[in-house]
Amino acid sequence: MPPAIHTDDLVKEYGDVRALDGLSLSVPEGSFFGLLGPNGAGKTTFIETLVGLVRKTSGTAEVFGHDVEDDYREARDAIGLAPQEFNVDRFFPIREVLMHKAGYHGVPDEEAAERAADALETVGLGGKAETRFDWLSGGMKRRFMLARAMVTDPDLLILDEPTAGVDVELRHDLWDVISGLNDDGTTVLLTTHYIEEAERLCDEVAIIDSGRKVTVATPDDLTERGTDEVTLTLEAAPAAVPAVDDERVDGVAVDGRTVTLRASSGSEVVPVAVRQLEAAGHRVLDVDVARTSLEDVFVDVTRTGGEATDGSRGRHDDEEAQEVAP
Amino acid sequence: MSVSTGLKALTRREVLRFVRRPYNTFLPPFITNVLYFSVFGVILGERISEVGGVPYIQFILPGLAVLGAVSNAFENASFSIFHGRWNEYIDEALTSPLAYWEMVVAYVVSSALRGVLIGVLVAVIGALFTPVRSLANPLYAVAFLAVITTLFAGFGVIGGLAAEDWDHLTVLNQFILRPLVFFGGVFYSLDALTGVARTASYLNPMVYMVNGVRYGVIGVSDIDPDAALVVLTGLTAAVLAVDVWLFRRGYGLTD
Repeated sequence: MPPAIHTDDLVKEYGDVRALDGLSLSVPEGSFFGLLGPNGAGKTTFIETLVGLVRKTSGTAEVFGHDVEDDYREARDAIGLAPQEFNVDRFFPIREVLMHKAGYHGVPDEEAAERAADALETVGLGGKAETRFDWLSGGMKRRFMLARAMVTDPDLLILDEPTAGVDVELRHDLWDVISGLNDDGTTVLLTTHYIEEAERLCDEVAIIDSGRKVTVATPDDLTERGTDEVTLTLEAAPAAVPAVDDERVDGVAVDGRTVTLRASSGSEVVPVAVRQLEAAGHRVLDVDVARTSLEDVFVDVTRTGGEATDGSRGRHDDEEAQEVAP
Repeated sequence: MSVSTGLKALTRREVLRFVRRPYNTFLPPFITNVLYFSVFGVILGERISEVGGVPYIQFILPGLAVLGAVSNAFENASFSIFHGRWNEYIDEALTSPLAYWEMVVAYVVSSALRGVLIGVLVAVIGALFTPVRSLANPLYAVAFLAVITTLFAGFGVIGGLAAEDWDHLTVLNQFILRPLVFFGGVFYSLDALTGVARTASYLNPMVYMVNGVRYGVIGVSDIDPDAALVVLTGLTAAVLAVDVWLFRRGYGLTD
């Protein structure tokens, strides 16, 4: 089976600006795939290229093996899109908007009516079926965007910031709905600024920046690549920066009685560090390990262009601290 | 050839949009044409002798029907597309598996239908003011009305795609379409013109439309209706082809 999404050297230029700069990406069928990147990274351009709202400059883009321009009808039929912006038909009650959308995808009237009712119930808008979009609250509008994406029963659900600006409770409700769809076999492509959302929902995450792919990995792999912070409190301040000899240690800093190590796999480094410090005559009173988060990795790789394993973790160390390489 | 469910859905959406807003779509032309027939037909018309062998009010009736029909066909297509672009909900259709030609057909058919309905409405209003109880050449009346509303719906699609602001739509309608209609022989016969004015009138496509419908309704025409029908049909086909090409290119729709 072809992947749900496959792009190769995808380029989109707006005059002198390259919104997509040779983006090659593959999203496996049935996966829950996250697309992360700072504002202007090219996430929305990428999505709009897939659904036909943006014309690519060069490269290829396919949805379930269908070229998004040559086989646009097949490609678009497979996609349900919940865009970031509220681009909803204001002339009709939301039930009819859903029926129209289903109709455009070839769903007959009677079935379209059933699907519209089901979709509204699923997102908790069953009681608002005859209301126009403009009269819905902000949270309801977000729910409706998801309902519209679902009503065509797509094989690929593309969600561009689906929980932007909604409260925690609604966000969790939407997560449940989306996860349920993915469990039933729908491939989900999610862009979000809530890193927790990607960490919690996604099987795999791509980080893009300046229209280019920086990295693709599972959230666990990405956090593994990040740098943990191990803080050791000594009984007495050391006269000099103590050496901790381990290849996983990226740097050592001292501030009074506190020794801070930056290291990959921080928890595993702790016993080595304690042993070496005590062998050097220091007494360790307390140890704390701050695990890197996906957010740290995200900040790191989008700042350094992908060198997450070698770079800093995005936190600023105390400027007063002394720091040496191990 | 069966009509696809998607095409039917978009066409129905477009028809419902104007049918459910009669105060915006049907009432204004109703009032305007009651005024036209009252002032030009009754008050002024009584002081004007027959034109082309028929009373003046009967002479202007087909022209007013054409004016209403083409204006509404154009406005409907251009407004619907531009409003959809402005609020971006046209994306609902653009991101669907509808073929580009299906999208064009839906916008054109629904807009032409509105034009036909308004043309018929105007004719009915006119018939209340003057005794026109039957059509002189009904097939011509139907054919011309169908072709010209389709043509102007096709122009409306181009207008809706090309406009970048609401002002552009106003310019298209008020400064291009309306002068062409008024100098297209709605209120006068070409026999009233001489020299350059008469020759220039033959360059105005509205002349052929107005006279074609006039021939169908009252049997009077300044031009050959068969030739006019052939030319207008060809022009309509060309405009529709341009519409589909523009949709395929994404003109005004993508990027």
